[in-house]
Amino acid sequence: MLYLTATLQSLFSTLRQSLKKPTTVEYPKVVRPRAPRLRASFALTKDAAGDENCIGCKKCEKVCPSEVIALTTVKKPSPITGKSRGYASDFTLNLQGCIICELCVQVCPTDAIVMVQDQEKPGFSREDLVLTMDKLYDNGEKKLRLSWANASVLAEHQNPERKHA
Amino acid sequence: MGHLIANAWLRGLVHGALLITVLMTAVAWISWFERKFAARVQSRLGPTMVGPAGLLQPIADAFKMFQKEDIIPRGADSLLFRLAPPLTLFLSLATAAVLPIMPGMLASDLDIGVLYALAFSGLLAFPIWVAGWSSANKYALLGGMRMVAQGISYEIPMVLCALVPVVVTGSLSLSEIVKYQAAHHWLVFWPPGIGVIAFVLFFTTALAESNRIPFDIPEAESELVAGPTTEYTAIRFGLFASAEYAHSVVSCALASALFLGGWDGPVLPPSVWMLLKTAALFVIVTWVRWSLLRLRSDQLMALCWKYLVPVSLALVLGAGAWVYVVG
Amino acid sequence: MASTAAVSSKARASSTEASLTPTRAFVPDPYLDLATYAAAADLLTLSLGPQHPSTHGVFRVVLYLDGELIVKAVPHVGYLHRGVEKLCEKLSYSNVTPILDKNDYVAPMCNEQAANMVFEQLLGVEVPLRAKFVRTLLAELQRIASHLLWLGTFAMDLGGALGGGTSVFMYCFRERELILDLFEELTGCRFHYNTHCIGGNRHDIPAGYPALVHQSLDLIEARLLEYLGMLEHPIFRDRTRGVGTVDAELALELGLTGPLLRASGIDHDLRRDAPYHVYDLLDVNVICDDGGDCYARYKVRLQEIAESIRLSRLLIDNLPAGPICSTKPLSGVTQFKITSGQAYVAIESPRGELGTWLIAGGKGMNPYRMKLRPPSLHALAAVPYLFPRHTLSDAVAILGSLDPIMGEADR
Repeated sequence: MLYLTATLQSLFSTLRQSLKKPTTVEYPKVVRPRAPRLRASFALTKDAAGDENCIGCKKCEKVCPSEVIALTTVKKPSPITGKSRGYASDFTLNLQGCIICELCVQVCPTDAIVMVQDQEKPGFSREDLVLTMDKLYDNGEKKLRLSWANASVLAEHQNPERKHA
Repeated sequence: MGHLIANAWLRGLVHGALLITVLMTAVAWISWFERKFAARVQSRLGPTMVGPAGLLQPIADAFKMFQKEDIIPRGADSLLFRLAPPLTLFLSLATAAVLPIMPGMLASDLDIGVLYALAFSGLLAFPIWVAGWSSANKYALLGGMRMVAQGISYEIPMVLCALVPVVVTGSLSLSEIVKYQAAHHWLVFWPPGIGVIAFVLFFTTALAESNRIPFDIPEAESELVAGPTTEYTAIRFGLFASAEYAHSVVSCALASALFLGGWDGPVLPPSVWMLLKTAALFVIVTWVRWSLLRLRSDQLMALCWKYLVPVSLALVLGAGAWVYVVG
Repeated sequence: MASTAAVSSKARASSTEASLTPTRAFVPDPYLDLATYAAAADLLTLSLGPQHPSTHGVFRVVLYLDGELIVKAVPHVGYLHRGVEKLCEKLSYSNVTPILDKNDYVAPMCNEQAANMVFEQLLGVEVPLRAKFVRTLLAELQRIASHLLWLGTFAMDLGGALGGGTSVFMYCFRERELILDLFEELTGCRFHYNTHCIGGNRHDIPAGYPALVHQSLDLIEARLLEYLGMLEHPIFRDRTRGVGTVDAELALELGLTGPLLRASGIDHDLRRDAPYHVYDLLDVNVICDDGGDCYARYKVRLQEIAESIRLSRLLIDNLPAGPICSTKPLSGVTQFKITSGQAYVAIESPRGELGTWLIAGGKGMNPYRMKLRPPSLHALAAVPYLFPRHTLSDAVAILGSLDPIMGEADR
């Protein structure tokens, strides 16, 4: 008897749950709103004049805990200003080993590397998930929603003198 | 009673073929229904991709089942291993032969229809045990052992509960029982009280016979991986799955024929009533499955032998007394 | 030869006598059952795991079965060993945090906190009050999320992947998603946050966050009540009451901590007994139960969810203003150097005492040795004591109630 009433109660509670709107969505067709701070993939940025922000300082390569960033530096005159400074001649970020820890973004002295909210599409080969320099600048230019976070914003968050309203 | 087709053999063949076709098609979309139902209960969407609302999903599943690699484990008893799945499906479908769908339409109007149905349903533990034994896998073996213990135990209260309609109507023929109900009362209400309890117990034990939660200890996934079907792949596994569904549906149909008046009902044609009642019972089966946890094997046995068997015995006695006194 | 054998057998006899004397602390022999078991030769050896639906990852336990009854259980751990401690010796101090996220993957916040607290202790860095509040809030939210996941998987262990257990599992995950959404809102990630750093937190609370927290907590509180009726079923009580009983002595002997210890009737909670963060400002209700069985563990964890919801509300309402980090933002890989000293910091993770022991040395770039004390490993130590005399079905329930996370047990 106890079993029976308890079973009816269980049936009732599942019924009540089943009358609710489903919480899952049909993913590729419907995309849930994600947090504005979402970190998903990377982009390299250019400044207002179209000059690459990256100065090839290799800080991100050194700080990366899973060692997925590799870059080579070259010193050459800027195509915009003509002044000679460091550039990354090659920059690859292997997303397969990336743990999205945001440390490379945080240490960047020129806000060159940022995280973007748009997920990289899954690929059929391993190379598809290796972000080359072209892909990274492409990510930056394709008006992907840039993440809220670049090095300056993160630094402002951690500023010991930060004041709150 | 005039049958649509005069020759008994031809009638059996035609109706049997019809029944199997209907049942197997139903089983395919029942799996779709169950997935959708579970999804709604669990606040998910369920199958949506194949066809409108995922309605073609069973076909895709069937194709998938056929395409998968068929593996027979080394060390398995090859003959028994191959034999078990078709035997399971055969026994589940064979039970359906005596189901009265509408007046004059049943594959075989046996005089001992109730006995036949219960016997075949009880035999079902056997091929599943064969599957568990022949797989050369310890999980499968344990699952098979549980199946035998559970099948044999729950057969007893199930038969005793089915005896109540038999005692009241005085017939072992399913179509006679339904005709009695159409003429007098549905047996779930008659004898008052006893009928309801007998129906609930019969339904519960039928759940146990067809391995549905909360009685699915033979294939308890969280303990025995997949029980007797652990080593089965491809369409052999598919046969087991469809046999389980077929058995559930047949049990529901049996319960509605025994207690809910079978084809009896106003306005709608008889076969529709029978289908509606079976469908309603199957919805309850599914609903229970996605709402309850699983019993432990010893608790399952205790429930059967300590409560269900004595109560169902008392029900048979009560029904006998009712017939003796009231008539 | 003969004499040594005689001596050793005598020694064994005396040690058996010693273990039976009531004055000594309770040390049961987990394998006693097999030695005294009459039908030892007929036992079925069943290797449960490492690939099994309910071993919570890759835990393996070899069971010796008499029918359905377990006579002996021998656990094997290490299938998920990734060498995290060794890896920490190679990484700089600021790089350890994101790696430890992967340790206890159900409660990553607590792992980050334990590591950063030990670094801060050795560096002598003070954490600002706001950061302490945020850390406490994150720890409590993480506790809710972790316990919800436990409740779901436990129900699935009892109810099967294709039954009512999955319904509860799905409901729990739905509620846990709300917490993960909160974490995503704050840190940008759902699982591996890397939001703590030495001296505070890396991400400040965004605008409108308190309202979000309240909204999610209200939802969780309401929804939990809705489907608890489903679990409070006689079947659930039959499956959990009196199953896998750990008494207080055994719990202490095995080093069980957290909900497992509290369910055995020992009133111990680091949040109250050795307060860190801002727990000394809070009045933490420590939930205890005397049962010691699976049902007691279930009740303790459920009440802890309610308690954590209460604490989280308090914390988000009283969040002080101020900086969130006391150190300069990370600008290079060798920002922090610890050349000498050692420290041990233990915090109350959802599973119990999560300890981090750090020995600094060398050039101070990396930890010389980093030892993690995972509560799950100690919980798994109870397996050989709890499984015998239960059936296979109970074994799954007991393992589920221990809430082991193999990521941290095997590290």
